[in-house]
Amino acid sequence: MRGSVAQGVLRRLLYALIAIVGVAALVFVLLRMVPGNPVATLLGEHADNETVERISSSLGLDQPLPVQFANYLLGALRGDFGESYTLGKPVSELIGPAFVNTLWLALAAALVAWVVGIACGLFAAIRKGTIVDRLFMGFSLLGVSLPVFMVSMLLQYVFARYLHWLPVAGISDWTGYILPAIALGWGSAGSIARLVRSSIIEVLQQDYIDTARAKGRTNSQVLVLHALRNAMLPVITLMAMQFSGLLSGAVITETVFSINGIGRLSVQAIAGRDIPLLQGTTLLCTFVIVMGNLAADLLYNVCDPRVRKGA
Amino acid sequence: MTQSTLEVSHLYTSFFSERGEIKAVQDVSMRIGKGQVVGVVGESGCGKSMVARSIMGLIKKPGKIVSGSILLDGQELTSLGENELCKIRGKDVSMVFQEPMTSLNPTMRVGLQVQEVVSIHENVSKEEARQRTLAILSAVGIPEVKERYNAYPHELSGGLRQRVMIAMAMVMRPRLLIADEPTTALDATVEAQIIALLRQLADNGTSVLIISHNLGVIAQLADHVYVMYAGHVVESASVFELFDNPLHPYTLGLLRAVSSLRSQSKVLQTIPGIVPNLAHLPVGCSFAPRCDKCMARCTSTQPELVAVGSGHEVRCHLTKRVDAQ
Ligand SMILES: Nc1ncnc2c1ncn2[C@@H]1O[C@H](COP(=O)(O)OP(=O)(O)OP(=O)(O)O)[C@@H](O)[C@H]1O
Ligand SMILES: [Mg+2]
Repeated sequence: MRGSVAQGVLRRLLYALIAIVGVAALVFVLLRMVPGNPVATLLGEHADNETVERISSSLGLDQPLPVQFANYLLGALRGDFGESYTLGKPVSELIGPAFVNTLWLALAAALVAWVVGIACGLFAAIRKGTIVDRLFMGFSLLGVSLPVFMVSMLLQYVFARYLHWLPVAGISDWTGYILPAIALGWGSAGSIARLVRSSIIEVLQQDYIDTARAKGRTNSQVLVLHALRNAMLPVITLMAMQFSGLLSGAVITETVFSINGIGRLSVQAIAGRDIPLLQGTTLLCTFVIVMGNLAADLLYNVCDPRVRKGA
Repeated sequence: MTQSTLEVSHLYTSFFSERGEIKAVQDVSMRIGKGQVVGVVGESGCGKSMVARSIMGLIKKPGKIVSGSILLDGQELTSLGENELCKIRGKDVSMVFQEPMTSLNPTMRVGLQVQEVVSIHENVSKEEARQRTLAILSAVGIPEVKERYNAYPHELSGGLRQRVMIAMAMVMRPRLLIADEPTTALDATVEAQIIALLRQLADNGTSVLIISHNLGVIAQLADHVYVMYAGHVVESASVFELFDNPLHPYTLGLLRAVSSLRSQSKVLQTIPGIVPNLAHLPVGCSFAPRCDKCMARCTSTQPELVAVGSGHEVRCHLTKRVDAQ
């Protein structure tokens, strides 16, 4: 049995690797299909053709695409993602610190989403049909339906500009993460709460819950010891998928709250047609998302014995 | 007369839905002596499981016990609070549910699911609880218990799962074990083994309430039978008496269905008609619309349960008349 688990993990790792290389290739090709020569853009309107060609060849842009891609991948493996056109620095030096900021933001938002989402869903489920249930579900519906930028600006206005409790923007200490984390995490908290609620309600109707009660377990013991684990199975998948959503949502949140993260860097890269930088940020995000899904898969396996074997 | 292990009197259990009150159990009385096996038969939906759940205090909302009394060794269960019931469930009264395939927690090792019962009710070390679990698992005929202990439900066959359920219900040596259709999902060989297991349990002093829609299973196992129809007990007698001298037309119909199965006749004898809607029961006898001996009285007055001999009771106007002669 051990062997098959290890094999399963290896196979998943292989899939993950294929996914990352695949996305890298896609991004690579797509970015090169964008009309206009990036070097010309870089040098400005007055550059002559000869200069453009000289610089292009020094950047390796005159080589066939597959060769360029192979070179790029080999470089990426060594941590060399090329040099940013617009910022004149190695991409790796730019995305490293930015990624750390984004990661903190995403983790803080995930914390908000998971803790608030699971707690609200749980209470709504056991108080099904009461005012608590309706209040929590209304609150999550609001989170799911309001756009992130609107929530961000609303929070900024109320808690920073009006009440002066928290900084408006920028990160000087941990308090700077509070508002962006809520803005970013609320939507996820909402959908997690809804799923947790429906999942718990469904699990509580299962036959094995009756069995547990017939053993002499109290209602709260039944909930914690028998219902929760089974109810969390579908939630794990959602949480992983949302982690990816948090990363893309970070683009907006980082812009509104002036956080120097991957999202903001990507926006800058797009604005400046900075292909190496955009490639770097995309590849990094892909890596994180694929790893997040892999972690969720493995966690799901640990929690659900039924899929463990066929893994 | 010695005190009964279980004494149910005039139990009424209903569901209060938007469509009105659904009377799932009406005026049901039954008693089970120590080490006795008592059977309940009846068609699907006649309220068998609801009687069992009422005894366990496990009626789901919007259902509840409306009135009546349930005495376990003289202790009234209907007035107990949830906390007190928790101390009795699994220890003094236990239940094997209808669906072995879905009645075990899919993400918990089966050994632990049995062991749990011991640790809920007794303050013993993990190791002792484990030893007792292993012992009961092999007592119910599970091979290679040490490996099975660590198995998950989906890794076991239906028969093994039902044995695990029975082990769970037996491990505390309860005074009463309720088995709700314990063999319905199983093939004939496994059915025979489970029946033998329950028989053995009763011989060791546990009272058993066995529920089935199959008279054959009841005949093999029970000492006394209650026949239920649309929430009522319509006839109750010892197994011999019931097969020898069935009085209620519904019981006669059930017996005909069994014998037509035995004789392998091509046409399966069934009772014509369908079970009435429990929210809108007919005014008179609930079996009247399907009864081939229906009289004028049957559609206007509900018959009482009357004794027609030692331990034989029938709820039928026809019987009363025969009795009076
Ligand atoms: N949740 C519920 N809401 C409303 N009515 C219910 C509910 N559960 C059960 N009932 C009613 O109770 C009646 C008795 O159900 P019960 O489960 O006791 O039947 P049963 O005799 O065990 O049948 P089966 O052989 O199919 O198990 C059913 O006919 C049904 O109408
Ligand atoms: Mg039933």
